[in-house]
Amino acid sequence: MFEFFIFILLPLISSIFCYYIRNLRVQYSVSLGVSILHLVLSLSVFLGYYHADLPFFFSVDSLSKFFLLILSNVYFWVVLVSFSYLKRPVTSKAQEGKKYYFLLLNFYLTANSAAMLSNHFGMYWVAAEATTLSVAPLIFYYRNEEALEAMWKYLFLVSVGIAFAFIGILFLTLSAKGSLLEGKQLFFWEFIKNAKELNPIWLKASFIFIFAGLSTKIGIAPMHSGDIDATSNAPSPVAALMSGSLRLTSLIGVLRILQIIRPTSSYEFAKIILIIGGLLSLFVAFVFMFKVNNYKRMLAYSSVEHLGLITLGIGVGGLAFVGAMYHAIYNSITKVVLFLTAGNIHSRYKSREVSNVTSALRTMPITGWLFLLSFFAISGIPPFGIFFSEIKIFEGLLFSDKPVILFASMFFLLFIFINMGKIIFTMLYKKGENDQLEAGTERFEFIHLSVILLLILLTVIAVISPDVIYQNIINVTKDFGMNL
Amino acid sequence: MENVLSILFCLSLFYVSISSRVKGYVTVLQLQGLLLSVIIVIPFIYDFSIFGIILPVTLLVVKVFLIPKYIKKIILDLDIKRMIEPTIQQFTFLLLVIVSMVVIFVVSNILSQRTELNVIPFASGFSAIVIGIYIIMFRKKLIVHVAGFLILENGIFLFGTAVASELPMMIELGILLDVFVVVFLMGIALNNISSTLKGFDVTALGRLKD
Repeated sequence: MFEFFIFILLPLISSIFCYYIRNLRVQYSVSLGVSILHLVLSLSVFLGYYHADLPFFFSVDSLSKFFLLILSNVYFWVVLVSFSYLKRPVTSKAQEGKKYYFLLLNFYLTANSAAMLSNHFGMYWVAAEATTLSVAPLIFYYRNEEALEAMWKYLFLVSVGIAFAFIGILFLTLSAKGSLLEGKQLFFWEFIKNAKELNPIWLKASFIFIFAGLSTKIGIAPMHSGDIDATSNAPSPVAALMSGSLRLTSLIGVLRILQIIRPTSSYEFAKIILIIGGLLSLFVAFVFMFKVNNYKRMLAYSSVEHLGLITLGIGVGGLAFVGAMYHAIYNSITKVVLFLTAGNIHSRYKSREVSNVTSALRTMPITGWLFLLSFFAISGIPPFGIFFSEIKIFEGLLFSDKPVILFASMFFLLFIFINMGKIIFTMLYKKGENDQLEAGTERFEFIHLSVILLLILLTVIAVISPDVIYQNIINVTKDFGMNL
Repeated sequence: MENVLSILFCLSLFYVSISSRVKGYVTVLQLQGLLLSVIIVIPFIYDFSIFGIILPVTLLVVKVFLIPKYIKKIILDLDIKRMIEPTIQQFTFLLLVIVSMVVIFVVSNILSQRTELNVIPFASGFSAIVIGIYIIMFRKKLIVHVAGFLILENGIFLFGTAVASELPMMIELGILLDVFVVVFLMGIALNNISSTLKGFDVTALGRLKD
């Protein structure tokens, strides 16, 4: 019960607390305390120091404790920098957004933890929808026209998408007709155990609906548009949270249904759907990187690319699956770093257009260098983590039965790298005609420190590659019945 | 009995496809909410329990009173014009609806030979899902999109009763609460859209693109 309290109830209580106590500093301290407790407990559960035994529709397995740790880590850093972010001057209209910031952030943690820890499809659905509800008002933080449009589109598209996922869940119930599972509760493990008895046609239909529906939240092409608008217009910490953890919360739903489908004859079909989704996402990122002129949208497309890569790895299975799991960790940390530095650039230049940002390296040297390093990290340049996970995914692709996928994805990734590099180097080095900002006046802020620590963390995890992470990923692959 | 109510549900879908007034949509939402509440209350007539009655009552309150009232309030507050502004002709829309429904009923009938399912509620629910999507696609006004989304949700609910999925009550209530909050947030967003973007329809939303 203690872990249920820390993971789900405490953030909810803290969210209610933030409604009544309006002092921003107090809200921040409480939220930070909650996030630290959450992080410590999820780390203890992950390392095996604490055996979690959750009640009702929740339980812990290798996959959920792995994703929970990623969520907890991203959330902690985002809360940590939130106060200094909120202190930045905004328009009088946007002052309103600050009031509900921590309230929604805490609710976000409740909903995401509940979704990741749920072992019942119904519970998962309710929690996944709640994550949308918590994040939609956060997108509207700046209270401007773009934010409003982004919020509306995100709320609408994702709600319809989640409704589709629900149809998928109902199809899953249909697939159980005439089997031992008929009339039973929709627990994941019951379905996994008796997967072979499920009706394959309904199971396939269920997979398609759940995957397509949740794609709106994961940001898999062609359902990515709402996600792009939302991530690019949300305040940077929220965008980091969305890219780093919310997408994984939705991915876990797809992984659950894949786990059910894995021992059945429909697995090949599911694999093909996942591979198509992954490749299509890489293709979309490849195309839009040529024409994107807003650097936050560029980062959002980069999220589509990396989630596409993860989906591809999951679809191919085997070593690529292991790579995809590693990629989930590294991508989440790198996205936090990228969005936070991009947020610094935004608050200095007051624009998200690439053309309005010039000589960033001269006017804000610390952020500029960190932005450059984060770009190296996301592009898979060693010693940053993504290099290692991408190598694993590529190796998996090469030794799979469809090595041609490797060449297609490397082709897309190469051009994405070139185009992203072009945009980022323009922002950092190009001299503007009317550079009004003073050079080298940037103060070292708390956000910079956090970004540096995160980059160190990213490198340390990648270089040391702790055995506990490897073992956990191997356990996940075992749960999926894969032989490496 | 369930079949009769499902057919009534289907008729409400026809009404919504020819209605050109926003108010008509709200009435249909109320009617559908009522039908759904009756459908899930039927089993309890023979086997009454206080605990089992919570869900139908909540459904009734949320879908017949709260949500329609809230939508009406938005229409009044924002002074939205009464017409729905379709992007295709009403007759074409009706034709599309009829063709889709026929296809859905025929396919459901074929499917029911292999899997045991309740054809009429199943097909009615699925029709509502498809028509909800059509409404979102072929209507300009954002408030009508919200109504389309709710019709889609109603369809899923009916569909759920047809496949006899046994979700625990807590989760059913959670789903209802989620839907209600979604509509509530959409209402807040609409309020802001009308004041900030000076419009109530999709043409007001065109800023974000590459």
